[in-house]
Amino acid sequence: MAGLTLRSVIKNYGEVPVIKGVDLDIAHGEFVVFVGPSGCGKSTLLRMIAGLEDITGGEVKIGDRVVNDVEPRDRGVAMVFQSYALYPHMTVYDNVGFGLKLAGTPKDVRDKKIRDAAKVLQMEHLLDRRPAQLSGGQRQRVAIGRAIVRQPDVFLFDEPLSNLDAALRVDMRMELARLHHDLNATMIYVTHDQVEAMTLADKIVVLNGGVVQQVGSPLDLYNTPANLFVAGFIGSPRMNLISGSVAEVTPERLRIVSGPSSFWLEARGHGLAPGAEITLGIRPHALSVDPSGTLAGKVQLVEQLGNETVIRVLLAVGTEVTAVLAGQGVHAVGGPIALGFDAAAVHLFGADGNRIALSGD
Amino acid sequence: MKTATPNTLLARGLIILLMVVTLLPFLSMLSAALAPQGTYPNGLQWPEDPQWGNFVRAFEVAKMDQLLLSSVLIVLGVVPISVAIATMAGYGLAKLTSAKYKWVYLVFVFGLTLPFEAVITPLYYEVRALGLLNTRFAIILPLIGLYMPFGVYWMRAHFLNVPQDLTEAAQLDGATRWKEFLLVQVPLARPAIMSLSILLFLWTWNQFLLPVVLVQDPMQRTMAGALGAFQGQWGTDIPLLCAGSLLILAPTILLFLIFQRQFVAALMQGAVKG
Repeated sequence: MAGLTLRSVIKNYGEVPVIKGVDLDIAHGEFVVFVGPSGCGKSTLLRMIAGLEDITGGEVKIGDRVVNDVEPRDRGVAMVFQSYALYPHMTVYDNVGFGLKLAGTPKDVRDKKIRDAAKVLQMEHLLDRRPAQLSGGQRQRVAIGRAIVRQPDVFLFDEPLSNLDAALRVDMRMELARLHHDLNATMIYVTHDQVEAMTLADKIVVLNGGVVQQVGSPLDLYNTPANLFVAGFIGSPRMNLISGSVAEVTPERLRIVSGPSSFWLEARGHGLAPGAEITLGIRPHALSVDPSGTLAGKVQLVEQLGNETVIRVLLAVGTEVTAVLAGQGVHAVGGPIALGFDAAAVHLFGADGNRIALSGD
Repeated sequence: MKTATPNTLLARGLIILLMVVTLLPFLSMLSAALAPQGTYPNGLQWPEDPQWGNFVRAFEVAKMDQLLLSSVLIVLGVVPISVAIATMAGYGLAKLTSAKYKWVYLVFVFGLTLPFEAVITPLYYEVRALGLLNTRFAIILPLIGLYMPFGVYWMRAHFLNVPQDLTEAAQLDGATRWKEFLLVQVPLARPAIMSLSILLFLWTWNQFLLPVVLVQDPMQRTMAGALGAFQGQWGTDIPLLCAGSLLILAPTILLFLIFQRQFVAALMQGAVKG
């Protein structure tokens, strides 16, 4: 088992840069999730770690060893593919044991390891079947089994749950978390699903356009997003982003205006001057119906989920915001509504899109 | 139970008609082959006293046992080697070639456009220069070469359809390129290899032009090639000629009956992948 270090890692396809200098430290035993929209480079980065893509520049270290020019088979990594990539002509038993067979592991040792892995993944009854005879969830289990028998230094998962249905995804997610706990292994997991990222990760790496946007624990990212991209990406429903400007600055407070709305925020040491353009970020859960609230608008859509009510409101400034309200409220579509929020729950981003630290951050 | 609609009835009728048209020449050959020696059978008349002995005589005079052996030797020389080389080349062109070397594949495709007949004359001189004229190698070596464009094209089409993930999974599992090829790719390519083998067998077995031009001794030729000599020698004895022709056909028909399923699969594969 080992940690992993990336230093100024670059990947270009011809003239096109895909990964633009990534630095990352992953400690032994950490569960790290690469998350980002399609085409952000997260899978490419994972494949570079696996050795399936050449590294244009920089350095990838697994443990203390630089592996830039090491063949995939010699890197001590195992990978679970989105497509499962099981060998269709082999039984589950042979699929799981293929790596061990290639490594020349004695038959009895191999047999024990395969059966142990099957037990951990509760697929002992499937060992004689072929991949075509398995369901999606079972195939994914086999793919994971194939990875764990080899006892790699680092496990790599490339969107492993995206081909499963929603219910199975939740089950497999829990199983992966249990597996990580039991094996105490370093795992790197790629997904575009931020719920998977939030629930599984010790550390999330948010990528966009081949650049790391933020690295931190799920709650770090949720509570203090480093920029507008992370703010919009982490959290469901996504954070409401409302443009506005600074109207007044006092040593302890800041008055923000956005259209007809105006309110004070506690803020110190932010370096903002009156007139500065900013973006406000307010999570849907931080909004509540408040007749004296500063955000007034019209209800566009109401979704009753039973335990909560999601409403879309078109503000007077022309921005749509989402509010998640506790319980089952009655709201007429097209009717007027005023929303309030706790000023402490507001995130502020500058014109460059980066977070502006307010007091208490 | 579904009742047959007029459309399916029409379809069945057409199929039966097609079957009759296809089988008629063979039935005519069979009735002729059973006619008494020295007669000139006409059409589909079933002889009053079928001479099954004609087949025995044809087998003996055509030295069918030797011809069979010769054909088998040629097939064994051509098919396994062609399939092995085509499989490796197909894999290489589909999985190992970078965009820079895609033109290599085009060379093979160009080969597909060359008819056998167009190269037969230069081939004759080449084979003569190699001192292989009148040996079975004069058939085996050119055939291996002539089958390459199709074989490589066929196998490449198969390997292109194998997901890249499998290759990568094998690499991560610790396989070298060679082991990945042998343990993952070849077993997966079995249907394609099987169909290619059947097609190449058929084409080799029925090979007529090459043996006739490059090999003088009928006993060194394929059965189909030997038919030419047989016809020349026994052209006037129609029953014997028909019996001999049917005997020469028999192994192919037998093989078709055994591998029916694979034949159909092979032809379908060609139809879909084109």
